[in-house]
Order: sequence, then C-alpha cells, then structure tokens
Amino acid sequence: MPETAKVAPRKPQKPFFFNTSEHLLRIGRQKANTLSELLHAMQTCPDDSIFQHTFRTLQEHHFIRQGFSNDFAHWTLFACNEPALAEQLASVDVREFTAIEGLRRRMVDMLDEFLQTENRPGSRPAYEPFYFCASDIVVLPTSFCAETLPGFLDGINQVSVHSIHHHFIEARLRLHRMSNDFSQWLEEELGLGEAADEIESIDIYANTMEGVRRQIARIVSQAMN
Amino acid sequence: MSSEDRRTTSAGSTIETQAPTNGSQKAGAPVSSEAPAHPARRATDRRVADRRSMNRPLPASVLTPPAPPPAPHMDDYAAIVGQVQIDTLRFLAKELRGKTIKMVNSTAVGGGVAEMLNRLVPLLSELEVATHWDVITGGNDFFEITKAFHNALHGTPYELTKSAKDIFLTYNEQNRARMRFDEDLIVIHDPQPAGLICSKATTPAHWVWRCHIDLSNPNPGVWEFLRPFVEQYDAAIFSSQSFARQLPIPQYLFYPCIDPLSEKNKELPESLVQQICDDFGIDRTRPIVTQVSRFDRLKDPVGVVHAYKLAKKYVDCQLVLAGGGASDDPEGAAVLQEVKEAAGNDPDIIILDLPPWCAVQINAIQRASTIIVQKSLKEGFGLTVTEALWKGKPTIAGSVGGIPNQIIHKLTGVLVHSVEGCAFQIRYLLTHPEFARSIGSSGHEHVKENFLMTTNVKRWLLLFRILEQARALRGKAA
Repeated sequence: MPETAKVAPRKPQKPFFFNTSEHLLRIGRQKANTLSELLHAMQTCPDDSIFQHTFRTLQEHHFIRQGFSNDFAHWTLFACNEPALAEQLASVDVREFTAIEGLRRRMVDMLDEFLQTENRPGSRPAYEPFYFCASDIVVLPTSFCAETLPGFLDGINQVSVHSIHHHFIEARLRLHRMSNDFSQWLEEELGLGEAADEIESIDIYANTMEGVRRQIARIVSQAMN
Repeated sequence: MSSEDRRTTSAGSTIETQAPTNGSQKAGAPVSSEAPAHPARRATDRRVADRRSMNRPLPASVLTPPAPPPAPHMDDYAAIVGQVQIDTLRFLAKELRGKTIKMVNSTAVGGGVAEMLNRLVPLLSELEVATHWDVITGGNDFFEITKAFHNALHGTPYELTKSAKDIFLTYNEQNRARMRFDEDLIVIHDPQPAGLICSKATTPAHWVWRCHIDLSNPNPGVWEFLRPFVEQYDAAIFSSQSFARQLPIPQYLFYPCIDPLSEKNKELPESLVQQICDDFGIDRTRPIVTQVSRFDRLKDPVGVVHAYKLAKKYVDCQLVLAGGGASDDPEGAAVLQEVKEAAGNDPDIIILDLPPWCAVQINAIQRASTIIVQKSLKEGFGLTVTEALWKGKPTIAGSVGGIPNQIIHKLTGVLVHSVEGCAFQIRYLLTHPEFARSIGSSGHEHVKENFLMTTNVKRWLLLFRILEQARALRGKAA
C-alpha cells in the first residue's frame, strides 16, 4: 500500500461543495435492428445519446460488478451474439475521454473495422432492437460541504452514489482534463498530489460504485493519518 | 379431483391442492411425461400431501377486504432508500415550491394508474408541489369505446366508426367544459382524456401525455385518430422505449414503479410469512417455485407447470401458482381449468385463486419462495417481476414487453424463451444457490435504483423542472 500523506495537508482556500446530478431518460429517434444500423446511428446520434449509453449506464447499474460496461457492448453480445465485438466495445474506458466526440469515434472505428475485416453480415437482424436514449440532466446541491479533510471524508461517506458518479466519472467531461473533482480538490487545495493520483487510478469497471466510494474513503483516511 | 380437495371460500376463491396418487398420473402434457417423485422426497410426500389436504378454514383476511392502511409519508421512505435520496427529492422540489400539478385519468379506483396516483399525489403535495387529481366522467358508451381503443392500441383488430369518434370527442368536450386547468403542469393519463389538450391554448401550463399503454403495434385507424391530439402536448411519457412512437415532441421514459411500503411489498414478520404458508399448505422446508399472475394464457401458467415437471426430474421442489381472475372472468376460469389438468395429481403443485385484496398473502408467498417465475408470452411492464426482484428473489422471466428493462440476463435475473429454458433455469438456480443469491441481490438493487415510488416522484419533479428550464430558455432567446 503506497504512503499517500507524508506532509500535513494545508488548509483549503476553497471548500468542496458536494453536488449531485439527476437524469431523466429521453427516448431518442433512432433505433438499430442490425449492426450496420447501429453503426449508422452511432455516427449520427446526438452526443447525449453516446453519453447515456456509456457514462450514464454506469450510474444506472452502479450495483453491478460483472457484465459489460456500456449498453453497446451489452446489446452486441445479447442481441447480436457477437462476443468478440462485445469484448472490444466493453474494453473502452470512458475515463480515457474528456469529450464525447473522441469516445464516439473510438467505438465507431471498432464497429466499422469489425464489420469490414471480419466480413460479418451487418444486416443480420438482432434478437431485439437497440433503442437510442439520452438524458436530460439537473445538477443539484447536497447538504454536504467540506472545508477540511475530515469534512471531505465525511461527505465521501455520506453522499449518494449519484454524487460520487457526478464528481468522479462525469467530471472529466466538465473539466476537459484527465482528472476528477475529488483529485483536483485534493491536489490544488490541499497539496495531496499522491492521494489525488491514487484516487484517479481506481478501476471503476471492476468495482460497484459503493466499492469506488470505499476506495476513495480509504485513500483519504490514509492521507489524514 | 375430489370435493375434499377443493376448498371454496365465501369469496369464491379456492385453494387447489392435488390429491396424492399411487404413481399413475394423468398424461397429456405436451412437453413431457410426469416426473417421477424425487428419491429424497418419497418418504415425506405422503405426509405433506396429507397435511395439505386437511380442510383448514382460511384466515379472515382472505375472505374479506382488509381496511386500507394509512398512506405513508415521505420520511417513511428514508429507512428504505436512505435519507440522502429523500434530501435529493426535497432539493428538487425546492425550486418548484408553490407550483401546482393536475393529474387527470379515467378512474379513481381499480387499475394500476389509480393505484399509482393514490400514492404519488400526496407525496408530491407533501413536497409542497400541490398536486390535484381529477377524474373524467362519461357514460357507458364512452367507456365501451375507450376500452375498445385500449385494446386496439395494443394491436387488436378494430373498425373505427364515425359514431365512435363522435362519442369520444363529445365526452372529452363535456369534460373540458367542466374542468379548470389553472395548474402549472397538466398531466393527462392514457387515451381516454387525451382530447382535453384542446384547452392548452387557454392556459400557460405545460401539458404532458402519460401513456401507460404499449403503442409499439397499434391499430392504425385508432392511432391516426389520436395522434393529432398527442402531437399537441409538450411531451409524452412511455413505460418502455419499445412502447413509444415517432412523434415530433420529446418523449420520456418513466418506468412503472412499486411502492415498497404497500401491503404487497412491505417487510413482513417471519411469523406472518410462516402462518400464511401454513394456511395455504406450502412447505417451507423444501424449495418453492412460484408464479404470481392472473389465470391468463399470456402469462403461460400451463407452460410453468410443464417447466416445473421437467425440472422436477432432477430437483425436488414445489410449484405455487398464485393469482386471481378465475372467478369473475370466463376466460380466467377456463385457463384455471387448463392449469389444473396440466397439474394432474401432483401433490406439490399448489394452485391459489385468490381475491384481489390478498396483497399481504401474495407478499408472504413471494417472500417464502426460493425462485420466482414470470414466464409471460406477452407483457406490459411486468410489475410482478419488479415485486419479486425487490424481495431479492432469483427471478426467471420471459424476455417480453418491459421485462428486459428489469432483468439483465444473468445479472439481475435470468431471461428465458421456452418451457425447456425455464425448466433448465429452475434446475440451475436451485442447485447453484450462490449464483441465485447474487442475482437476487443485484435485482433488489436494480429496483431500488430504478423502479420504486420514490424514483417515480423524482422523475416527475425532474420533468417539471426540465420543462420550466426549457421555457425559461425559450423566453430568453425570444
């Protein structure tokens, strides 16, 4: 276990406001009955549909540890019976992207290449259609605001998993950098760069969101002691 | 079946248990012959069957409707979903404080919509978003036509006549003249009052159409008649992505929900679960496979019997088929008879035709079950699946309607497409209790996140805020 706090953290200039985001599912206009239709729809759907089926689905299914990490991979396996493509799509880590366009491009390229090089019948009907959806988002405050590291730990332990998702996973689309709100605050306000890095490297796909919360709390606790 | 084996309650409901035989059972099941008694079970079969065939009186709660319990308050849900979730609802409601909602549907009692509104309306009002509930009125001719519309929108053939259109429009106009629409958000449920949208121009309110019907394959004539009304709303809400139509207005997905504090879903004392199982002759020392549903062919109760019999060749279990609808529906009675014939003389098949107020009994049976099955051939959303998942039960269900929204195959339950698939999953889950526990637990979390009444309240608040924000943005742009 790496040591994360060799120096006492300084007093933060700015408090950490724990917010949360709540989503309302909107049914999109596109649907796919085949892999070719999925490719076309992925190329043309709005950004918020890509967000819904990748970032947002992680929050909707935050309690699941196994299974595929995004809706495209899940559908590719269970409705199209294409495990190799499903594994490729599932390997895409949303945290490698700070904008939806890059994420879309990576998945479209994978699907396009699969259909061309594997010479697969892209027109074979799926068992059930893929319905494109999107989210309308409302960001809300919570009653937690941290002005100290113990207060921060208290917030981490008590906010909803939606708040954890908002600050830890969705944040990179807001920050446009490969980080998250927790790591950014710990580094910029408290000088805890090592703890910030350790939090950023938590594997979100091998954990439930509660597991992610516990790991963040452990790292922050270590930084306090 | 002997008369001793058929116990009829004063409410007309019955408990059917099958008399023990000496091995020769009724043939005729299309899938398989009868399963032989499991070796480990032979010694106790007769004792159990003897106990089940005793003519016990049913508890009073089954014979007469119980008094309705008091409606829960928002804070009562904190113990279930966590205080943080309740705080989120309060934060969401804060900006809407003082604004008002009107819900309009076609019936005050009976049916899932009225049941849902009974809980939703007071909870929204408790959050200081005053919510009124109005019910349209109409004659028998109106409700006969809207019933036909309902069936036609589900795909039943129907010839839409000018007279039917006139009756629909006349009653909608009468209700429109009678009602006031002073609220900030008007929600019209289902097609019956859809014509009230003609008052939209006279109010500044947001108008939303909440469709609880599967519109994936509607009768074209009825849908084309209703579509011009629907297109005037500011938004439409459907219960599943697959139920929606292509419309020029935003369409939202609101899953149906269950109330975790209702009689059907609340926690029960273990002693009550045991007592109810004893009353029905259900042996809790052995695995219990249960399907809860009306005696309706689309729920495939006969298929469940066949699946049980296939599984019973390998694993010991009992089958409980608990439902209703046989005493007031000729088709239900016919289906019940088919189920009895399929069950033959198996003493481990318990068929319960219960009156509609037996929510606590259904709750107890679900909680006592080892596995719950919902092998529907066609389904709306499938709230019995939601109830099973909420109770943490490993659930096997047909991959139809809204069920795949609830059951993610092998993660929150298992989906099946045939009698044989259902039989295999019964065997697998009964012999792999760790896996069964794992999917049961994930299923419970899935319901907690997506299909509870508190989530439903949140969706309404979110929608209201989103409509308000969109209007404010349009105002700024103008």
